[in-house]
Amino acid sequence: MTAAGGVDDTTEDFFEDAPIGYVSTTPEGTIIRVNRTFEAWTGRSRGDLVGARRFQELLSPGGRIFYETHCGPLLRIQGWLREIALDVVRADGSILTTLVNSTLRPAAAGRPEVVNTSVFDATERRRYERDLLAARRREEEIARRLQRSMLSGDLPAGAGLDIAVAYHPGVRGLEVGGDWYDAFWLTDGETAGIVVGDVVGRGLHAAAAMGQLRSAVRALASTGLGPGPLLERLDAYARRHGVGRMATVVYAELDLESLHLRLACAGHPPPLIATPGEAARFVWDGRSPPLAAHRPGAAGRQEATVRLTRGSTVLLYTDGLVERRSSPLAEGMDRLRAEFELARGEDATTLTGRLSRGLHSAEHDDDVCLLAVHLAV
Amino acid sequence: MSAVERNNVVEHGPSGGRPIVMAHGFGCDQSMWRHVWPAFAGDHRVILFDHVGAGGSDASAFDRRRYATLGGYADDVLEICRELALEDVVLVGHSVSAMIGGLAAAAEPERFGRLVMIGPSPRYIDDADYTGGFSRQDIEGLLDSMDSNYLAWSGELAPVIMGNADRPELGRELTESFCRADPEIARHFARVTFLSDNRADLARITTPSLILQCSDDVIAPEAVGSYVHSRLAGSRLVQLAATGHCPNLSAPAETVAAIKAFLAT
Repeated sequence: MTAAGGVDDTTEDFFEDAPIGYVSTTPEGTIIRVNRTFEAWTGRSRGDLVGARRFQELLSPGGRIFYETHCGPLLRIQGWLREIALDVVRADGSILTTLVNSTLRPAAAGRPEVVNTSVFDATERRRYERDLLAARRREEEIARRLQRSMLSGDLPAGAGLDIAVAYHPGVRGLEVGGDWYDAFWLTDGETAGIVVGDVVGRGLHAAAAMGQLRSAVRALASTGLGPGPLLERLDAYARRHGVGRMATVVYAELDLESLHLRLACAGHPPPLIATPGEAARFVWDGRSPPLAAHRPGAAGRQEATVRLTRGSTVLLYTDGLVERRSSPLAEGMDRLRAEFELARGEDATTLTGRLSRGLHSAEHDDDVCLLAVHLAV
Repeated sequence: MSAVERNNVVEHGPSGGRPIVMAHGFGCDQSMWRHVWPAFAGDHRVILFDHVGAGGSDASAFDRRRYATLGGYADDVLEICRELALEDVVLVGHSVSAMIGGLAAAAEPERFGRLVMIGPSPRYIDDADYTGGFSRQDIEGLLDSMDSNYLAWSGELAPVIMGNADRPELGRELTESFCRADPEIARHFARVTFLSDNRADLARITTPSLILQCSDDVIAPEAVGSYVHSRLAGSRLVQLAATGHCPNLSAPAETVAAIKAFLAT
């Protein structure tokens, strides 16, 4: 019996001096009981707390709003809270960073409802979490800036060439995607190179890979390789440097004298073309697999040539424009073609604006990149 | 996508009854009304919904521009009413949705018969000669609190908030989840809610209104309830014995009785 008595003493001591704070309250939060640890941690005596204050009054103002709008309702609805991060304000105004668990003990046999809360000192853990969050936000910001700087620059214009681009980051998700576009003169006023690509993945890594491929395309294009061989070299580059595996690219060269469009497409959605007097059509020629997915020694990169006339429009885009979670890809492509038919007579800027407004619905979370070329009549 | 799908509309009660739309506030979802709606389902057509980003709503419908002000949320309420062809609506809004309801009623007064505002506040931040109860810094503190709890950085919805984890130590399995929220949207909603200033809109509300004011409500203190009452022509102010910010959960009987008494007048 003495042993049992000893256990009782120990239990009481354990409650009072446990390495966590205990607080019991009414469902409204009025404090009914606290242990010595909670008194010591908060610098507030029992007399200052019990019957005198509500638990949420001990929180920072922001924490109080969070508690009233999130924790209180949840406790009422499901009867418990787990690992809620709350800042408790000590008597001297300093902050005790805590993690809190609570259970709502239902009323029974004349005993009213009680909320039992255990309070853990989480100072170090929360500092670590905040550092992680800050690092994550920094990385996102760097990736965004990197992406913006790489997608800036003047587009070729003049000689009856009208080019416009639109870039819409995904509506959800914090990280930048790997979609990119580029357009440049190969020979000033005579031949223009246009490209749209999509690197697998998101974030800093995708932004960096996108930048490397974009630079590589520019450098290779300037040597006068032409679309098919350019993609072969880009393939070799991707393989050798381990960058942009499974990236998709469509690259085209437009000769403004002959109005021939030479293009090669590595696993990328097919370009959409409208020539005056004909229905808009997807170009399914000149296709080969995505970058670095092409087996070495297999047939070379395919290439196709499309004859355009003045008044023609060419659209390159990324899959975000046509993919929907809720419908098959073919439907998305049909929708794009229908929308394109309606807007094909417009200048390039109006066209990209209309297409991205009409098709980039809130339903998907992918990035969308569009590049339109219109040959003025 | 229809508004009914987007906002996870759930209906109870006879379809021919007078429609009563209940709008939940910031931090939770339509489960806030679980102890209130059954009292109206006998003779009313009860319409519950989740704001975009909360509960069972379609978070992909979220658009920063549309929801840049409370007006975007009010538009959702109006769209739901239009889709369901509701007339002579009783609109009950809790917390920030009291003002959202006010904005909806101001925009289409002919659609609403009565407006009930539970714990309304037209502005949460103190201004020159106005006491909202909070400073801008406090609101930053709220966002920090949300960051710590939603763990948005981990890319996961915090299970503490979702509350759908299996908790064997509690001797029960919870298959439902309550007050779920998309962390990024919740952050945005917090900013829009607590940085909004809708004081000027009160004068545009002509719908007969009831203001339910709790005791010891830190989010919407009594001075704020009195302010709303003084600016809302012909409104009725009822002081509840209930304490805290959520009488719909903590004192449903008192809340129901106050609304029913108002509707009977």
